[in-house]
Amino acid sequence: MAVKRKLIKERVPTPERPAEERIRDFKEVNLGYTFELAVKEAERCLQCPANYAPCIKGCPVHIDIPGFIGKLVQYRDDPDKAVKEALQVIWACNSLPATTGRVCPQEDQCEMNCVMGKVGDKVNIGKLERFVADYAREKGIDEELLFEMVPKIEKKGQKVAIIGAGPAGLTAAGELAKLGYDVTIYEALHEPGGVLMYGIPEFRLPKSIVKSEIDKLRKLGVKILTDHIVGKTVTIEELLEEYDAVFIGSGAGTPRLINAPGINLNGIYTANEFLTRVNLMKAYLFPEYDTPVKVGKRVIVIGAGNTAMDAARSARRFGAEVIIAYRRGEEDVSAREEEVEHAKEEGIKFEYFINPVEFIGDENGNVKAVKFEKMKPLEERDSRGKRKIVGTGEYVTIEADTVIIAIGKHPNRLIINTPGLKVERGRIVVDENLMTSIPGVFAGGDAIRGEATVILAMGDGRRAAKAIHEYLTKKRNENA
Amino acid sequence: MYRILEKKELSMRNIWYKIEAPHVAKKVQPGQFVIVRAFPNGERIPLTPVMWDREEGWIVLITFIRGKTTMRMANELKPGDSILNIAGPLGNPAEMEKFGKILAIGAYTGIVEVYPIAKAWQELGNDVTTLHVTFEPMVVLKDELEKAVGRHVLETVPIDPNLDFPTNMKNVTKRLVEKVREMLEKENYDLVFMVGPAGDQKAVFEVVKEFGIPMKADLHPIMVDGTGMCGACRVTVGGEVKFACIDGPEFDAYQVDWDVLIARTGYYTDMEMRAFQEYMKLFEQAVQGGEQ
Ligand SMILES: Cc1cc2nc3c(=O)[nH]c(=O)nc-3n(C[C@H](O)[C@H](O)[C@H](O)COP(=O)(O)OP(=O)(O)OC[C@H]3O[C@@H](n4cnc5c(N)ncnc54)[C@H](O)[C@@H]3O)c2cc1C
Ligand SMILES: Cc1cc2nc3c(=O)[nH]c(=O)nc-3n(C[C@H](O)[C@H](O)[C@H](O)COP(=O)(O)OP(=O)(O)OC[C@H]3O[C@@H](n4cnc5c(N)ncnc54)[C@H](O)[C@@H]3O)c2cc1C
Ligand code: SF4
Ligand code: FES
Repeated sequence: MAVKRKLIKERVPTPERPAEERIRDFKEVNLGYTFELAVKEAERCLQCPANYAPCIKGCPVHIDIPGFIGKLVQYRDDPDKAVKEALQVIWACNSLPATTGRVCPQEDQCEMNCVMGKVGDKVNIGKLERFVADYAREKGIDEELLFEMVPKIEKKGQKVAIIGAGPAGLTAAGELAKLGYDVTIYEALHEPGGVLMYGIPEFRLPKSIVKSEIDKLRKLGVKILTDHIVGKTVTIEELLEEYDAVFIGSGAGTPRLINAPGINLNGIYTANEFLTRVNLMKAYLFPEYDTPVKVGKRVIVIGAGNTAMDAARSARRFGAEVIIAYRRGEEDVSAREEEVEHAKEEGIKFEYFINPVEFIGDENGNVKAVKFEKMKPLEERDSRGKRKIVGTGEYVTIEADTVIIAIGKHPNRLIINTPGLKVERGRIVVDENLMTSIPGVFAGGDAIRGEATVILAMGDGRRAAKAIHEYLTKKRNENA
Repeated sequence: MYRILEKKELSMRNIWYKIEAPHVAKKVQPGQFVIVRAFPNGERIPLTPVMWDREEGWIVLITFIRGKTTMRMANELKPGDSILNIAGPLGNPAEMEKFGKILAIGAYTGIVEVYPIAKAWQELGNDVTTLHVTFEPMVVLKDELEKAVGRHVLETVPIDPNLDFPTNMKNVTKRLVEKVREMLEKENYDLVFMVGPAGDQKAVFEVVKEFGIPMKADLHPIMVDGTGMCGACRVTVGGEVKFACIDGPEFDAYQVDWDVLIARTGYYTDMEMRAFQEYMKLFEQAVQGGEQ
């Protein structure tokens, strides 16, 4: 392999749109690598051997990272070939690389372990993955690969139903289709994608990209029935009559609310409602799009996870002054570093150690202020290693005409009320093969984990697909 | 994509759509609703299957032309066209029990939602009286209700062309309240049920409360997904936060915080008006036929 072993300490940066420009629209913030820049960054990789490479261990789906990065360098004189080979390596483990390359917390996963970190910057694995997927899509290279793959699939003659078209369900569907199963996804909303469509904003993950990744699954033969709510349109029991196995990837879509007076005042949104209006329904284009959304002059976002950052940055794009109010301190913020940085650059303010106790309204039932209790940290730590906090008995009131609640979500109630389905603390219980208490019914993603990440949901989808394949192979052999 | 088999104007501003939607027709129960998205840049609105045929796989929706979406559906959809999305059935079915003597009230187009429930209650052995209060030119489902329930009472209010629409609507509220009082004074009912604007539901509830009769109401908060994942439809019931799309839409009227519901339903009125007016600029001629 023509890989050069000279150390290049500094990361090749990816161009980003300046904050003053990007807060006026919903277009993507990070512009990604060109082929030349991608090769330059790829050259920094030391090509650690696959059985050792710590980046691979850090990736929840174990993509052969030096493998795909190496292809970019090896075929640097033939960009199309380089990308095709690299994509093939990625696809072996990950069917949504344009998405994961953008939204994975690489700093806590593959990049956390990268050995280059000892001498300089870690290799920018996420942006390289994204480059491969984007370039392939623009040049139709992904279509070419699919075209070669599809005729080789040997039909198994068994049917699998997937509930939910989020990353977990889409991944399980793709893997099972590649194995030759007849796969149908049941999705409650009018667009497949789950959080990728309704939650994560356009400026981080353009919806056209999600749609094109989903179209590839359709080309593998996956059928998607939108507007079908399992538990209402059809029950799991009925699915089991028609299908040989079922996978539940229904996510954790039910928003948690704050149990405080005034929570139902106008102008108080859950992050889910706010982001669904903005992303899925494109309310930022009202009245060209019919769905309205109201963003006042001052917005308070409560919480400090990814969802809070997305809600805050979206609200900022409507011209509002935005404050993130968090009951813990700066070091406890759970959102990705990159997103917190972006939020700060965009002028979003952070207030720490305040916890809402009351929402104050005007005479028309519209919110006008939030009363917070000031909190303080203790030395003691909770089960997640975060410092515990207590109220100080001191209060502060901040005025706002829009409040967005982003304090977390529970799994969907329509699914977890299925008779015979074992559920603990609102999460579906599964065994080591991701099988639920109902034989033939598997589950993964946020439905079993509570709020987690895209790549963990996809990892579950892959593992479940393997387990379903084993389960159905046994069933086939028994019937033969 | 769901094909429109029939479309007709039943009365002023009330449009009937018979639509192919086998997945809904197969499962829907009285009291449940669907979420419809009719256009690529459109919004999701809740509507109620009024009639259905499980074998033939169709449902009937009746919409009152209220704002942009319902107007645009009326203007732009023809038989043979398709509606992009119909999700459902959603919400809980109405409780099907022998309550005894029931007064089921529909204000304006609310009566179309009363129809499937009242019909099923009657079939179950209840003695159902339906009351429809609306403007004179907006009567719907009169023959169907007369056939379906024990007694159908129709109260119409004329539209005074010299008054604006909100003032005319106050006259409907007045008649509604008077008529309900009159009926409750004359006869004993075991249950009152109502569908209509939240303000009218509250006004009727105040009367029913005086008589101490149990009352249920189908609530109409703003909805987005209709599957419990956003909380747009939240209402305060018995001091607790409930999501109408998965906990309702039917609730005990005595437990509902009506003022919160009324305030929340009106939150987007200015934006809805703007969407409507901008749309109507494009469709001025079409309007002159439909509106008085
Ligand atoms: C705003 C926001 C930002 C985030 N940012 C990041 C990020 O940057 N990086 C990251 O890794 N993770 C992020 N996450 C978390 C990540 O999106 C989730 O962990 C992931 O999407 C879970 O995937 P899933 O497939 O399990 O569920 P979902 O993505 O929730 O998909 C579930 C699907 O099932 C459907 N469904 C639910 N109930 C039913 C039913 N009864 N019948 C039929 N269909 C049903 C839903 O409509 C949905 O489409 C973010 C989450 C949010 C909300
Ligand atoms: C569970 C449920 C079931 C429903 N079922 C039905 C159904 O079967 N049929 C049906 O027609 N509707 C039904 N609705 C109501 C329906 O969802 C709304 O009519 C619809 O969303 C209106 O959309 P729009 O865009 O046309 O109007 P919007 O954009 O909502 O605009 C309405 C505009 O009209 C004004 N307005 C409000 N009330 C009135 C009024 N009474 N008369 C005149 N103007 C008014 C408002 O100020 C606003 O400007 C149901 C609602 C729920 C929650
Ligand atoms: S750990 Fe870093 S240097 Fe080693 S193979 Fe992975 S990306 Fe390359
Ligand atoms: S409409 Fe979103 S939760 Fe009910």
